[in-house]
Amino acid sequence: MAPSGQLKALVDQMPDPDERGMYCTDIDKEKIEKAVAAMHKGGRKAIVGLIDMLVEPLQGDDVRPVKAKYALHCLALAVCNLADEGPRSEFSLTLASQLGGDRPKAVQAYLVQELQTAGGKEVAGTLGTLLADDVLCEPAAQALAAIGDGAAEQLRSALGKAAGKRRLTIIQNLGVLRDATSVAALREAVGDPDAGIRLAAGWALANIGDRGAVDLLLKAAGAAKGWERIQMTKACLLLAEKLQAPGKQSATA
Amino acid sequence: MSSDGRRKVSRRRFMTETAGAAAALAIVPRSVLGGRGHVPPSETFGGALVGCGGRGRYTFGGLGPNVVRLASCDVKFLDKADNKEVYTDFRRVLERKDIDVVAIATPPHWHALISIAAMEAGKDVLCEKPLTRFIAEGRAVVEAERRYSRIFQIGTYGRFSASRSPGNILTHKIMASGLLKKCEAVHIKRSGLKVQQWSGIVNAKPQPVPKNLDWDMYCGPSPLRPYHPHRTGGTHRGYWDYEGGGMADMGQHHFDFVQWIWAKDDTSAVEIEAHAPPAHPEACAMWGWVELKYADGLTFVMESTEWGKPYDRKRPRGISLGDLSEGNRRKVEAMPDPAPLVDFPTAIRTRQRPGGHAEAAHHSAAILHLANIAIRVGHKIRYDPVTEQVVGDDEANRLVNPPMRAPWHL
Repeated sequence: MAPSGQLKALVDQMPDPDERGMYCTDIDKEKIEKAVAAMHKGGRKAIVGLIDMLVEPLQGDDVRPVKAKYALHCLALAVCNLADEGPRSEFSLTLASQLGGDRPKAVQAYLVQELQTAGGKEVAGTLGTLLADDVLCEPAAQALAAIGDGAAEQLRSALGKAAGKRRLTIIQNLGVLRDATSVAALREAVGDPDAGIRLAAGWALANIGDRGAVDLLLKAAGAAKGWERIQMTKACLLLAEKLQAPGKQSATA
Repeated sequence: MSSDGRRKVSRRRFMTETAGAAAALAIVPRSVLGGRGHVPPSETFGGALVGCGGRGRYTFGGLGPNVVRLASCDVKFLDKADNKEVYTDFRRVLERKDIDVVAIATPPHWHALISIAAMEAGKDVLCEKPLTRFIAEGRAVVEAERRYSRIFQIGTYGRFSASRSPGNILTHKIMASGLLKKCEAVHIKRSGLKVQQWSGIVNAKPQPVPKNLDWDMYCGPSPLRPYHPHRTGGTHRGYWDYEGGGMADMGQHHFDFVQWIWAKDDTSAVEIEAHAPPAHPEACAMWGWVELKYADGLTFVMESTEWGKPYDRKRPRGISLGDLSEGNRRKVEAMPDPAPLVDFPTAIRTRQRPGGHAEAAHHSAAILHLANIAIRVGHKIRYDPVTEQVVGDDEANRLVNPPMRAPWHL
């Protein structure tokens, strides 16, 4: 459905880029906030309408996609600033409902970026499905890592089917989330033919504080050369520190 | 690496590695050949510059006269990299055992990662300001400095002269004494934060990547965006992906020495409030002022004078011995002056911690990031300087430690 004339009029209230293409002149905070509040009242229909106006990456000279992009982010900030969790969750689910379909990948990547700001566990499943997409895997993994809640299951589930850069991204973010349930798969990945995978897995195990990885990482560091040796040595030191942290001391004995 | 942690280039190694290499001799003959006023090779350090844009040679100059440039690295050197003296990938530079000291003058989204990697590889580091793109990076740099016992110095030097002023020394001593129970001081920095100058373009259309530029490596830990020249070459400052506008770019100059004066090298503000319009998701843009309060009552204010109403909550106010009781005044007067700050060239020779060490640099960058976070989330935030987290604010904490693009991580 095409965005309504009323929504277009609200989007037009957003600032015009100045002659340099920046938001540096005639930035009227009250006018922006008033228009965003009106968009918020439009609910799901207004959010989808804004998404329909997005063009990513930009083409042509139409300024409305630029304004719609900013308006959508203002809306994300506005729902996050409300005491009630409901509007944030509704906003987040609406954005998620527009993912995985025919919209241009760059538009979807922008929506995922907004979910990194405003999304919660309610969209973890949708983001998880994007881990199978070569273009959207990276932003989806980052959004999941930022959200945290419910993210590890999605990454773990996607790991077995991922290859190449997606596999690297998923392994790294399992490390970011310190997902102890993944250690078996990560230990296996330390022996991967791809040096990038080996390093990501080694760091992930260290960050998780996996006692069972001590010998594996020491051996990997000893066998490596150059940059890989430096990074595997770092993983060994990091693991030692994690194991010496309060509550873990017995593991280093 | 030498076992004493001092990675001097030995005469034998230096000569071995440079003998027969005409290019290397072209760089180092004066120090190798010796002569009056020249530094003998046994006190010469092998250096590398990572990030060879406009600031690069000045940053490298900060390493001091005893450092010989053996490698230059920049992602825009695809057309001339030989992996001997000229590189596009800093990892190859750090693998070299004859590099002792690294100067980093890349855009800030690389500062922490390259600083950390260099220290992991046993190098000392001089890194351009701002130290970081976000708060968690700063903590990681501090940990690397400690873990690897390396010398680290941030590339802003205002604190060296500020720490010699008698008035500043007195303020520093009063604050460091902890005897001033309630600090009502207010430091306001008005203008000079280049907000309009370092804003980003919101309607940039993708352009072809120049043939000499490794764009993927340029983006590094940040999102892989379509190329636009405004995202590089100094104007990168206008994008959250790489820096944080004029606040992050100029703020460390303006507040690093102030932080020393007020004895805040080991802590941070606890309450931060911004006056700004809603932030753009990718481009840095306008803000009016940010007020940062410390736990002891000290207030810092950044006022852009480029947008919105002027800051009018408080007036600038200093402190003096008169703010103390007679007994406490005598205690402060009896305190020794702080030790002179050690510069980087001295630090790499003597292994003393330099004046702009990682902890200080981290905290002076952190207040800029907190200011930017308050601008970006659009509400007042409360920060815990011990846990380095925004209190009870998931949205803000996502900007304290955002994920990086693989394979890059802290």
